[in-house]
Amino acid sequence: MIAPRQAASVLLAACVLLLGGCATRGPLLEPSSRAVELDATPFFPQARYECGPAALATMLGASRVAVTPEELEKRVYLPGRRGSLQIEMQAAPRAYARLSYRIAPELAAIVAELDAGRPVLVLHNYGLPFWPRWHYAVVVGHDGNKDRLILRSGKTRRQVLSARNFMRAWDNGGRWALVVLQPGELPTAPDNRRYLESAAAFEGVASAQDAWRSFDAAARQWPEDPVAWIGRGTASYRSGALPRAIEDYRVALRLDATQVAARNNLAVALLEAGCVAEARRQIEQIDTTALAERMRTEVLDTRRQIESRPADAGTPAAACGGATQ
Amino acid sequence: MTPSKWRTTLVTVLTAAVFNFGVMSAAQAGIVSTGAIVSAERDADLASIRGQLQRADVQAQMQEMGVDAASVDARLATLSDSELRDMAEQMKNAPAGGDVLVLLGAVFLVLLVLELVGVIDVFKKVPAR
Repeated sequence: MIAPRQAASVLLAACVLLLGGCATRGPLLEPSSRAVELDATPFFPQARYECGPAALATMLGASRVAVTPEELEKRVYLPGRRGSLQIEMQAAPRAYARLSYRIAPELAAIVAELDAGRPVLVLHNYGLPFWPRWHYAVVVGHDGNKDRLILRSGKTRRQVLSARNFMRAWDNGGRWALVVLQPGELPTAPDNRRYLESAAAFEGVASAQDAWRSFDAAARQWPEDPVAWIGRGTASYRSGALPRAIEDYRVALRLDATQVAARNNLAVALLEAGCVAEARRQIEQIDTTALAERMRTEVLDTRRQIESRPADAGTPAAACGGATQ
Repeated sequence: MTPSKWRTTLVTVLTAAVFNFGVMSAAQAGIVSTGAIVSAERDADLASIRGQLQRADVQAQMQEMGVDAASVDARLATLSDSELRDMAEQMKNAPAGGDVLVLLGAVFLVLLVLELVGVIDVFKKVPAR
């Protein structure tokens, strides 16, 4: 049993540790000439435990999606936890034809997004290390001269926080921050892996057109990345544009001939376009013995589909473009 | 778990498995999704049966946490494979952003404890006039 006096010291020590961030004294924001505040960002004051739905409605509103916190409550609020999880906050925009993208865990990244006109959703922790209090808020402005940030938070339409206080709560919240993107829109300084993961997660929910726009932006940004081309190809396939799908899969294979998924998808698209011989030629190039279970199942399935078709459906070989690959 | 809870879970798992396999083969027709490529780069062999189990697990946990059955499917539909896996593992402990209104209460509580054990002395009696 700890004596009350000792317990109090521990508590005090914890508070001091928590405030340890104060040690640095210089300004945290670049004292830039330009202060930015996205005034047009909507505001939804939160109900009791619902900062998640309110902050998300703010983010989506700024991205021209009109949706209320009440509607979002059905998507992100967990009554049993009296709050919203980061994973669901990140996933929900996809249901409204928007991608979510985790930005780099740096204050400079938040500033860059604000400068590009996009508000930033952040997770703050205002509690103690052993008693966290999690809170979502939306950063809508920065002011380097005064070293402070402007937020939509809780019931406050315009909350002004010193950069120091902001950083303390953001640090304790794990520096989690995301932006909402329209299909085809790229974040500032996009990270290749993180963007493609966002786009791939979006693909599962998005219309073929929206998925195409997202991967098209990726293929323009990183023309050497096969995954971007595969994604764009699959979007074309879904919308029935087979020649475009075939072309994109071939680009992916020229960049990386070992992309099994690209070859499998190419064979499927070829088969559907009536190029049975060329589809067979492609699928037979895949060595299935070394593949992971899931991929092998897909490839063997495609192979069976091809073998069940008559040898040539009559499409001229030239239209199937077999010569180059 | 009680026997009836086991049965409910089993039924949910099987239903989800049957339902999802059906949907998958109908919608994708042999195309490997880009999501599978991206997640395969990180996790070499994420067997789809494991994915189905996790889906059912998250479904059950969500309902336990008070999400109505009608919303659960719509919520799960937006998750990627890796997000679904994270949900299955972290739903009970991951940070859940909710309320800051209790914050003031927390600060008061800390001050009160410190006051009571005599570390600080901030709560003074209003002097009687």
